[in-house]
Order: sequence, then structure tokens, then C-alpha cells
Amino acid sequence: MKKLVLAVVVVSFIAIPVSSCLAANQKNTGCGLGSLIMQGNDGLAFQVLAVTTNGTCGNQTFGITSGTLNCEQPKKFVSRETINSYVADNMDNLANDIARGQGEYLNTLAVLMEVPEGSRADFYALLQSNFSRIYTSPQVSSVDVLSHIESLM
Amino acid sequence: MGTAPGRRYGRNIARILFPLIVIISCIFFSPPAFAQDPPYCEELLEAARRQKLHDDRYWHILMHYQQRIIGIESLIDDPNFFLAPDGKTNPVSELEATIRAFFAPADNENASAVCRFAARFEWLTEKLGIDTGRLPVPACRSFENFMEANRPSSVTLAFPMAHLNSPASMFGHTLLFIETADRSKLLSYSVSYSAVTNETFGPFFAVKGLFGMYPGYFAVLPYYAKLQQYSDVDHRDIWEYRLNLTEPEIRRMLLHIRELESIASDYYFFQENCSYLLYFLLEAARPSLELSQRFHGWLIPLDSIRAIQEQGLITEASYRPSRTTKIRHLASNLDGHGQEKALALAKGDVQEGTFSQTDLSVQEQRTICELAGEYLQFLYTKRRVPEETYQERFLRILQMRSALGISSENGLSRAPVPLQPDRGHHSNRVSLGAGIKGDDAFAEIRIRPAYHHLMDYDGGYVEGAQLVFADVALRYRPEDRRLFLERLDVIDIFSLSPRDRFFRPISWKLSTGLFRVEADHDKDRLVYRINPGAGFAFGNNTEGLIYTMLETDINIGVVLEKNYSAGMGGSAGAVGNLCRFWKVHAFVRDIYYSLGDTRNFFEAAVHQNFVINPDQSVSIEVCRSRTHDIYQTEAKALWNLFF
Repeated sequence: MKKLVLAVVVVSFIAIPVSSCLAANQKNTGCGLGSLIMQGNDGLAFQVLAVTTNGTCGNQTFGITSGTLNCEQPKKFVSRETINSYVADNMDNLANDIARGQGEYLNTLAVLMEVPEGSRADFYALLQSNFSRIYTSPQVSSVDVLSHIESLM
Repeated sequence: MGTAPGRRYGRNIARILFPLIVIISCIFFSPPAFAQDPPYCEELLEAARRQKLHDDRYWHILMHYQQRIIGIESLIDDPNFFLAPDGKTNPVSELEATIRAFFAPADNENASAVCRFAARFEWLTEKLGIDTGRLPVPACRSFENFMEANRPSSVTLAFPMAHLNSPASMFGHTLLFIETADRSKLLSYSVSYSAVTNETFGPFFAVKGLFGMYPGYFAVLPYYAKLQQYSDVDHRDIWEYRLNLTEPEIRRMLLHIRELESIASDYYFFQENCSYLLYFLLEAARPSLELSQRFHGWLIPLDSIRAIQEQGLITEASYRPSRTTKIRHLASNLDGHGQEKALALAKGDVQEGTFSQTDLSVQEQRTICELAGEYLQFLYTKRRVPEETYQERFLRILQMRSALGISSENGLSRAPVPLQPDRGHHSNRVSLGAGIKGDDAFAEIRIRPAYHHLMDYDGGYVEGAQLVFADVALRYRPEDRRLFLERLDVIDIFSLSPRDRFFRPISWKLSTGLFRVEADHDKDRLVYRINPGAGFAFGNNTEGLIYTMLETDINIGVVLEKNYSAGMGGSAGAVGNLCRFWKVHAFVRDIYYSLGDTRNFFEAAVHQNFVINPDQSVSIEVCRSRTHDIYQTEAKALWNLFF
């Protein structure tokens, strides 16, 4: 009964068509800042109808083995897939943490790069003070970011 | 002398021939299964029958079998999940088909039943003592490799809460994530059940979600991917509840998750939703849990967290603020001047000398940069900044921040932790009380299954947000001994979202249901109402909110002239906590109905709520209204119980 009534009300609205899918920029040399473009469900009418389905789109089922969400990776780095995927998928949050010298995304990078716990404080300070050497341009790619970081160590 | 030997001869031939004929016909005409079951398979099938494994609770958990009025049915709808043609409704034939499937040769390990139904395989191996060396595929090596490489160590339940300005999403979502031994939380594997669709048309989206018309799938993704969606883009605060599942239990859960890979099940928003399907994963880990069978018709995610808590699974809870919460918190650490600077930075006014002419402390400068960066990211996810501009500006802001060193004041950067959602009031509410309307006294009883009202105690809920479903109010008038329906709110949503420098949301409301209007002949009658509104709100959650809204109202009912009435108007009000347990909402509303049954309706009201404990409160409401130039006062007091 509740569902039926809700459905009646819901259908009585002519809602703004809304897309709830992730779309992505395909770049050839890894991902840059802001590369995952998200479209939000912010039409008012849509909000009334709620996120009844927590909709995800057909292209995301099992991502364990593939690792990356949407960015292409150059083939020669296949052996370091996990770190590459991580940096590629989290460009913006990681850059933010490196600039601050702290944060969860930075911690995770340290774990992946196997930086021993005792050396992490120095590692973070090192990255922060060399921010411009890591992020050399607004279009810097994840692959370059990682190699710049490695050249500092 | 000729017949007796002849007949004996004939009988001998018959004795030899007859069995031969039987054997030959068995070979050629018997059903394939009987002809091909190896003896070891037969042995296992016999053992399974003897142990009555088809009745075993764990078998029912793995198969998602539910008792129906007649018989048993699996909740899973995908035919790929079943090995027997009647597997969805027949536990016996599915069990036997599963055992037989282990003996089927396979080209590659991943296509074999041993891998595809790894949880079933492991359970049956244990129960029947299967000698796996006698099977074509002795183990699922790809699964074992995964377990070795990752060493899953703990499971956490994540609960993303409501979107900003979206009370309809207040029900939230639940998903699990599985952490591995030496990695960080961000790299853990999230397991989330949701409907998969490329649908873009709003109403279809909701209706189909309600009626099981979308397939639901389990998606396994790195947790950071889910965070990008929920925390960064959707701007939902997330609560993370760590569970006490042991490593063998986690292994069993992962085996079952593996079985559900790419398997579809019809998604029903109220029933077979994200939370209900998670119950099966938890029970696969620990069959002694009593979760899925306690289902009573609908399942709200927050209630599922309470159920999981009651089963003793939760060890600790931690709070992860969304981007918008972080922005609000960072802004609260700055005065107006600091906030303006951050806003200017985010909008592109980034100059080298931004901080040189000021007397801002280093910490303030850091906060300004961080706030500018977060806010710029917010603008980008809302597509208010193009990509190239975003990249350039973001980088410059981060460069500025990187020159300011590391903050040692960690406390400042962390948003204050609100009350855990499962410690707020329960979802169902019943109210009892009495009042006077005009000259008539009445007693009132109200009942509502979901979810949260503006006046309810806010702890654990998003403030300023109201989502009410199916709220029924019955009244009894002793004077004429009448029991009648006073009001039925089908939905009543109210979203007050304050505007400030950084966020400019439009507050809104939608109310629909049956309620009483004063008809022309001085009697009140029920009509059906649809009442949307939109407007602005200002203030904050500590000091209170003031708002103003434009509203339209459509009433449909036989008691109205021309059977309907439609109009426009507005409302304005203020709501806030006078102290921790006392909330007040005062408002005025005026609607002029110019179409159909024309009339003017005005009301001024004060509602108060006193919190006794999270699950009990007292409401006092006083309202003075005017319709058709007739004034009326109504006052009532209700005791509210949440359960």
C-alpha cells in the first residue's frame, strides 16, 4: 500500500532527466588532476524520488583484479599495477594530502611504497617541501607524479 | 518326447536373453545421469541424503532460500545461480546437482563448479569429508592465490548518510569493506549491493526501484572508489562500524561473495535492498547469526545496523565527514575575513602576495588554503568550473599550502563527531495525546513507521531534514463519540538547508496526503493534498534556522466546489533548540486558493518538543488558523514513543 501510494505520487512529477553514471576522461598516459568527471544527481525533483536504488552503472562490477576505475595505464608498468592504479584513481585527494603534509591518502601511499613507519614523518615532509617538483604542471599525469616521487627518495 | 526338451531349451534361451535385453535397453535408453554418475559421486549423494544436508541452515543461507506460504524459494533470480532446473524452489535437487557438478570436467578452473560455487564446495567438502583428490578439479587455486596475496583481516560496515539537502536519501546505504592485513583502509575491498541501471528518467528510476524491476548486483571495488562517490561527489557523511568477524569467518564470506559475482537478484528498495542482502553475507560468515529470518516486511538500513549491533558484531564506530562537512568545519575556524579570502582563492583570485599584507597567523593561512582547495573541488564536482581551470587553480592553491608546513594542531582539522546514528531515536513512532479544536476536545493517536520529523530529537540524524512516511493520525471526540481519521501523511518531506558564503542550496518541502479543510458549511472534511514548496533558509544548527518558502497547494475532494482547489502562497518560520532538550518551531503560512473552491487560508503556529530520552519526547502544538473568515484555535499535547 505504502509503495503504491508512493509510486503514484512519484509518477505525478515530471522530473528532470538525470544521469547517475560515472563518466571518465580517457587519457593515454595515466590520469591527471580532476580526471574523473562525475555527474551529480542534484535536480530537485530527482531528490524527492531519492536514491532508491543507490544506482551504479553497468560498468562496475568486479574491480578487484582490474584495479583502475577508468584510466588507461601504459603497458610497461604492469608489474607495479597497484601503486599506479592507486595514484591514478586518487590524484586530487593525494595531491591535497601531499600539500598538507598529512592525511589518509598520503598514509596509504607510504604503505604501498613500503616506507617504514619510523621514516614516514620525514617522507611526508620531504614530499611537501618538494611539491612543485612532484606536480610540475596542471596537466601532470599520475605516471609522472609517481616517478617524480621516486626520484626524490 | 519332443516337447519337454524343447520347452526347457526355450526357457534357457529366455533366461539368457531376457537379462541381456534388459541390460542392452538400460545402456541405450536410461537417463544420462544414471549412466554417468561415477560411484564416488553416488557415495557422496547417498551421504548427503542421509545427513539431510538439503535441510541444513547453512545450505539455506548460501542459497538465499526463504520460507514462503507454500514451499521454499530462493531470493536470487538469476538462473546462472542454480545448477538444477528447479533449483530456485527445490533445495534437494539443487544440492544433488551441485554435488554432481563437482565431477564435471572443465577446461579451465574458473569455469568449474568448484570455483564458481566455491562456498558450496568448501561446505560440502567439510560435511561429507570429500576426498578432493578424486575430483577433476581439486581446489579453486585462483581463490587461494587471492587469499594469500591479500590476507583479509577484518570487515567493516560502512553507512553513508543523507546527501546534502536531500532528506529522501536519509535512509542511507549500507555496504561492507574488507581490510587486508598490511594495507590501509582506502585499499580495502568494498562489497556493495545495488541496482544496476543506465536509466535516466527520474520517476521510472524510483518506481522501478520500488517494484523490483532493476537487477541488483554485488559490486566489489576498492573502498577509495566508493569514497569518491559517496564522500567527495555525493557529499555524504559516512559512519564506519568495525565488525568482529574472525579470519575463518571472513574466508567463508569471501567464498560466498565469489559465488555471487555477476549474479543478479531483483532489487526492491524497501525489502530486498542493500541491507537485506548484506545479512546473507554476514550469515555465510557466521551461521549462528539471526538476521535474515527476522525480516518483517521492510528493512531500513539504520535498523539493519541496530540488528547487527544486537547480534554482537560491532566493536567500534568511526566517523568520516564528507567534503561539505569538512568545508563547513574549516570555515567555522575562520572569521568572515578569512572565509572571504578562501572564497576568493577558490574562485581564481590566487596571487603570490595573498598573505603578505595580512596579519593572519600561519595556522589561519593553512586553513584558508585547505578550505579553498576543498571548496574548489566541490565546485568542480558540481561542474561549475571547467577542467583546465580547475587543474590550474587547484595546483596553485596546493602550492601555496605546501609552503606553509605541516600543521601540528590536528584537533582543529577534524570535524566534531556527531552522535552515532544507531544511538538516535528508533524508526517507528507512536504518539498518544489529547487536545482541543475550537470547542471540541479530542484524544489523538498517531503512528508512523518512518522516519524522522523536524521536531524529533536530532541526535544521529541530519539536522534540518525531515522524512516522514505513512503518518496516520486518528482522533476520538468524546462529545459525539466519533472516531475518525484526522490526517494521513503519505509523504512529508521538509529540507531546511542554510545558505552561506559557500553553499546556496534551495530549501524545499513536499507534503502529500489526506488532511482536513474547513469546508464552506463549517464542518471539516478530508481532502487529498499535494503541497510542494521551495525557498531559502539561513542560520546554522547550533543557533537555529530561519526560513521562508513559496508554496503551491492542490486539494482534491468532493466536498470542495468543483471538486478541487488550487492556490499559491508562502510560509516563514524559525526553528531551533532553546536548550539541549527543548526545540521550538514557530511559523506562519498563508495560501490563497484562486482556482476551484476559492478561499484564503492562514495559520500561525508554535510547535514545541521536549526530549525525555532519545526514544521518548513530549510535543505541544498550538495553532490559530483562519479559513473563509472563520478563526479557529487548536492546541494539543502528545507523548511520543520511538521503537
